[in-house]
Amino acid sequence: MTAPIHTSSFSGYPFTDGCYDELVAATGQPRLPAAAIARFIDKHGRAELLARQVLLNQTISAMGVCFTLYSEGQNIDRGWPLDVMPRTIPLSEWRKTSAGLTQRLQALNLFIDDLYHEQKVLKDGIVPADLVLDSRNFLAPCRGVSPPFGVWAHICGTDLVRDESGRFLVLEDNLRVPSGVSYMLENRTVMKRVFPELFADSTIVPVDDYPHQLWKMLASLSPRPGDVPCMVLLTPGIYNSAYFEHSFLAQQMGIELAENTDLTVEDDGVYLRTLHGRKKVDVIYRRVDDIFLDPTVFRPDSVLGVPGLFNAWAKGQVAIANAPGSGVADDKVIYAYVPKIIEYYLGEKPLIDNVPTFLCSDEKERGYVLANLDQLVVKPANESGGYGILIGPRSTQVERDDMAAAIIANPRNFIAQPTLALSTAPTLCDGELEPRHLDLRPFILQGQDLYCSTGGLSRVALRKGSLVVNSSQGGGSKDTWIINDEV
Amino acid sequence: MKYQLSHLTRYQYQQPIANSYNLACLQPRQLPYQQVLQSSIQVTPIASGLYSHQDSFGNVRHFIHLQSPHQELSVLASSIVEVQPRYLAGQLANGVGFEQLQHCFSNQSQLELNPASTDLLLARQCRFATRMIPLLPDAAALWAQVQQPHRTVLENVAALTSLIFNEFRYDPEFSSVITPVSEVLAHRRGVCQDFAQLAISCLRAVGIPARYVSGYLETQPPEGFERLVGADASHAWFAVYDPELGWVDFDPTNNLLPDERHLTLAYGRDYADVVPLKGVLQGLGEHLLEVAVDVMPLP
Repeated sequence: MTAPIHTSSFSGYPFTDGCYDELVAATGQPRLPAAAIARFIDKHGRAELLARQVLLNQTISAMGVCFTLYSEGQNIDRGWPLDVMPRTIPLSEWRKTSAGLTQRLQALNLFIDDLYHEQKVLKDGIVPADLVLDSRNFLAPCRGVSPPFGVWAHICGTDLVRDESGRFLVLEDNLRVPSGVSYMLENRTVMKRVFPELFADSTIVPVDDYPHQLWKMLASLSPRPGDVPCMVLLTPGIYNSAYFEHSFLAQQMGIELAENTDLTVEDDGVYLRTLHGRKKVDVIYRRVDDIFLDPTVFRPDSVLGVPGLFNAWAKGQVAIANAPGSGVADDKVIYAYVPKIIEYYLGEKPLIDNVPTFLCSDEKERGYVLANLDQLVVKPANESGGYGILIGPRSTQVERDDMAAAIIANPRNFIAQPTLALSTAPTLCDGELEPRHLDLRPFILQGQDLYCSTGGLSRVALRKGSLVVNSSQGGGSKDTWIINDEV
Repeated sequence: MKYQLSHLTRYQYQQPIANSYNLACLQPRQLPYQQVLQSSIQVTPIASGLYSHQDSFGNVRHFIHLQSPHQELSVLASSIVEVQPRYLAGQLANGVGFEQLQHCFSNQSQLELNPASTDLLLARQCRFATRMIPLLPDAAALWAQVQQPHRTVLENVAALTSLIFNEFRYDPEFSSVITPVSEVLAHRRGVCQDFAQLAISCLRAVGIPARYVSGYLETQPPEGFERLVGADASHAWFAVYDPELGWVDFDPTNNLLPDERHLTLAYGRDYADVVPLKGVLQGLGEHLLEVAVDVMPLP
């Protein structure tokens, strides 16, 4: 793609001050990877773009792509929000980014394995011991267990954002039961139907090998290598907000979708109840939180778990992905130490930097945070889905006072970050292309081998100026096009 | 002293149980002052699975699985244990002062003491609130009542132990295994488990590492009565970590330093870590629970 681009597709695009735009350069011209979509708009006009958005929405409802919102005690299924404008990233840049992501996951797994064995990292004072030992994600029963390849977090969803200069930064690592990958895959399927001409002659790198890579990674964990493993996806059931994804992934991989009552433990082995009798399970891809996994070891009141499962796993009779206890590295306070963790275990500099982070557990940093609440984003250490976050510049005095009290009561539980000028991308809002903030969640796999998804799930904040992209908070999504610029 | 120890737990179910998974913490610990000469777990009916492993606090746990229909389950843990005198009383004055202890657990010293020992890391873990032991300001107030700056931490802890013994009433009617520490504190009564957890709450609230110890105590029958078999009970106390001396035990229920008559079963952060027998079963109806503990001195 070397031809000069003469286009008026983005003329008059209302940039957000101080933010990097993914598709449009400061000159108002499309960036190189965005050339194909820009040409499409030039050729067919805005009206056609609107028509394609309508087609897209119809496709989504016909395919039944949905997600669940928990609100006021009710579960409401919503159609999945997908914007017709893709987000584009050049392949050359993506190669570097994915190298940084796999480096990070490798280091995090060495870290988790160390925490449950010798704890060298604590003894050497790299990470303050109290942070780990007081973490409710550090599970004492996991001490001494050795999962295959020393890998605990097999599936990681890392949230990336770009700063004002366009550099990717890691916002957080999701190591417990990260979700969203099914939407990455479905977004692509939908977009292929909506823009067949763009996919026909373009250089958009495919994303659809993910289910195969996931299957291969899970199979590598099987305690019976060499044979075709029996694998199940363990779901909490239809009321879970990610149930769509659970059934989707199980279907794509051709493995069983199981609820806890479908599994039973006998003689330290886990068995699936089938119409043809019991079948021994080798690998469980679980989408149930740690503390609900096994009522004999964790929460005794769990009705989602399988009694005896933990013991079967500890004995190596069955593999569980992600392994119980891997959430210890998925803590927004531990996050601040990840660059040090990478250097400690791998002897390498981190390829992707963290967002600067203030720890409220540190007295000096806490003082700074409390004095600058109106400038900062404050996050609870152990929540997900964007719950409990304070965005300083958009908060009221009452919200800030409540947050200050909460921080003082439990400093360990909070971190703060500067309010980032997240990158934007043109998004179709009321018929106009307007900049909206977005992030990116790639999915990284580690079993015997390492793999990083091609791009990931781009989540976009649909309200003007909003920085919250979580689907549970009204965010939308975009298809992420990694454009091969090396041809 | 040498003891024959037996701990029988018996469940009777109204209706047959199809499947039951249990985790036992019933094997006494091997310690410098306590030798386990014999130990066994006997399950009736015969378990379809019985395995043991060591947990992260070094306790031996047994996993018991039954998968044939049964209306009664009994787990009998028996062992022969020899306990030696520990001479703790003379040690208290040799411990560290409060400031030295605080320094030992500050983040600063983590770097100085590099590399920190495994022991110290375990002790660090015993400074935080747990599900059963919150850090209550009211509990911390007890420390303010007893602590005197010129004494060692351990001497002050001994004073705390006496305070609990003198001001709280032993009342088996009042509490159950899940009574929260705040209730114990408000009503000033409870049993051994409550007093141990109360002391731990108080100590952790001021930054002193303390852990929960479960075990047994040899009881002597009232004068003129014969010793009754099976009339003993599980006991609990707590231990405090001193950087110089290691873990030192205190028994607030009896206001004494555990010695030859205290048999140590397990260590944990709170009662939930060392529940003697817990589990999950599939079936309907009510159940009856019966526990008989016997600590018999051997010649």
